Amino acid sequence: MTPPHTPSQAASGFDSCRLEQTIHGRLQFTGTDGVTHGNVDIIRAFPISAPHAAVSILSADGTELAWIEPLEAAPESLRATVERELASRDFLPVIERIESISAGEPTGWSVVTDRGRRRFTVAHADDILRATDDSVMVTDTDGVRYHIPSLAKLPVCERHLIDRAM
Amino acid sequence: MPLVDRVLIPRQQGVPVPFSAVWWYLGGLLLAAIVAWLLSWARTWTLAWVSERIAATLRIRTYAHLQSLSLDFFSAKRTGDLMTRVGNDTDRINLFLSVNVITFFSDVLLVVLTALVLVTLNPLLAVVTLVPFPLVVWLVYTVRVKLRRGFSRASIAWADMTSVLADTIPGIRVVKAFAQEHREIERFTMANTRVLEANDRVNVTWSFFGPLVSLFTECGTLVVWAAGAWLVFGGTVTVGGLTAFLAYIARFYVRVESMIHMVPATQRAAASAQRIFDILDCQPTVADPLHPVPLGRVRGRIELSGVHFRYGTREVLHGVDLTIEPGEMVGLVGTSGSGKSTLANLVCRFYDPTSGSIRIDGVDLRNVSVEEYRSNLGCVLQEPFLFFGTIAENIAYGCPDASSTRIVAAARAAGAHEFILSLPAAYDSRIGERGGSLSGGERQRLSIARALLVDPRILILDEATSSVDVETEATIQAAIDHLVTGRTTIAIAHRLSTLRRADRIIVLQDGRIVESGGHDALLARGGVYSRLHRAQNKDAAGPTPVS
Repeated sequence: MTPPHTPSQAASGFDSCRLEQTIHGRLQFTGTDGVTHGNVDIIRAFPISAPHAAVSILSADGTELAWIEPLEAAPESLRATVERELASRDFLPVIERIESISAGEPTGWSVVTDRGRRRFTVAHADDILRATDDSVMVTDTDGVRYHIPSLAKLPVCERHLIDRAM
Repeated sequence: MPLVDRVLIPRQQGVPVPFSAVWWYLGGLLLAAIVAWLLSWARTWTLAWVSERIAATLRIRTYAHLQSLSLDFFSAKRTGDLMTRVGNDTDRINLFLSVNVITFFSDVLLVVLTALVLVTLNPLLAVVTLVPFPLVVWLVYTVRVKLRRGFSRASIAWADMTSVLADTIPGIRVVKAFAQEHREIERFTMANTRVLEANDRVNVTWSFFGPLVSLFTECGTLVVWAAGAWLVFGGTVTVGGLTAFLAYIARFYVRVESMIHMVPATQRAAASAQRIFDILDCQPTVADPLHPVPLGRVRGRIELSGVHFRYGTREVLHGVDLTIEPGEMVGLVGTSGSGKSTLANLVCRFYDPTSGSIRIDGVDLRNVSVEEYRSNLGCVLQEPFLFFGTIAENIAYGCPDASSTRIVAAARAAGAHEFILSLPAAYDSRIGERGGSLSGGERQRLSIARALLVDPRILILDEATSSVDVETEATIQAAIDHLVTGRTTIAIAHRLSTLRRADRIIVLQDGRIVESGGHDALLARGGVYSRLHRAQNKDAAGPTPVS
């Protein structure tokens, strides 16, 4: 199947597509050509800068089966499955309070998230990404990402801690 | 002094002075101290604010000027040296402006005011105070030049040391692959030793000069003591008057010494300023004309007429005549040093021809704005240079406002989309400096996507597939086939197989076009191209097996 490339195609090209979860909990995708692919993967194209902009459905060998951009343009059933799958996979704790960030590099963070209190290590200042919408994405040494929805809404002392770490 | 002269001494002599007078004087002194603190704070803050902005502006102007300079300037300079000039030298000027300038002016003011007080107290002793000055002036004059040279040498040594770092850190793989860590440590140690020696030379001069000035001022105080004692013996000056004079003279000499201690800071800043102005004074060899001809989006017809070019005294192109039609793909082949890359560099207008002309759609390149012309150009080089940042930022380098849809479309056309999706954060994945975390083929596909995104009318492919394996070359070749469609393309290749889609092949030898035509016609001619083709086929077949 040739994946739709433009948003307009994306809006109209998925009517006959199906994305379902098998009884083993895996995803299978049936394209417009009627061919069913098992064990497919869903990838966000811009997971940090624009998580909801575009999503790709890949076969088990990494071949792209479908490109959905924007996700809102996809049919309801397909979109719901994609969003459910992404939500179940995305472990993105939201940092609610920063208790401390150690000086130097790597930095040790002690934070309170919506999933509870956490301590983690950030290897490099480049692992703290500030997006244009004032949100911040922090990736620790285990690859776990933490989200700060708005830097401006943090107390001044916590903002100073982040500024120092960046 | 007034507290002593008007309160304490009269009280000791039996004059009924109330103790409240002491409070008045102490209160006045406290007020003066607070005012001095406020003024000092305002002075320091204002000066720091101004000097930071001067240094920042200097850095920006130097960097902007560097960007405007032509490739030949960068070929002749070391990266570390340029980084030192933009970073360290501007910082030294900042330090001089923020700390030393105001100190100097406040010293001058205090010296003048103290001198006035000294003259008021006793004109004769005031003249005696100036006895060591001719010697001090002579010393400053002598040492100034030595210090300037010393600081200049120290800056150069520092730049050399930075250049060693700029060489070895990006090339760390080569260093480790050849187990040359110890050699590099030795190289850095030598560069560091040169910095140490240069600083030592400055310190020798300064450590001799600084205390010598102190000695002169001490001698000056002794002379004043001697003259003062003579005047006291003669009854012209009272002991109290002499004591007051000596208190002021101590302040006077402290300020004079402080001014003289500024000499090294001044000379260091002067040496740094000279190194920055050396850059600012350089003019780009490929400059914009005063009245550029508007070019807009070109069709892509390229005409080279009698183009000669020389690097220094070595002429590498000898009268090249070539016309490339819009949308035509021309392959440039020839042995190393035949002038292929030089020709491509001239079309990119990285250099101007020594003589002859290059015209785009009939307009001489020297008559158009370099920036406007290059917005029509796309380059895919043998070693794709990627910047530290995300995949998306690198693809959108030539077109920073490109939407995510356009970025993905370019990556897809370059055959990079699927490998990008396999990265941990897909298009938001950060690639290391120079794309170190990607394979050669992946880097090359990103550079093709970058070229595709700007949608160039003229495309330069300089050995775009020569550094990758045959399988990757096939993938990249497919991306290139997509890229060249509808664009005037100049493709340089050693592997003749990569030019299979070329409309015409130009064979260069020793800076001249010796053959031109299609692949089959050139083979049939049995000339240079045919020999190159045979040699490559022989290499590809490998040695004849011995049974």
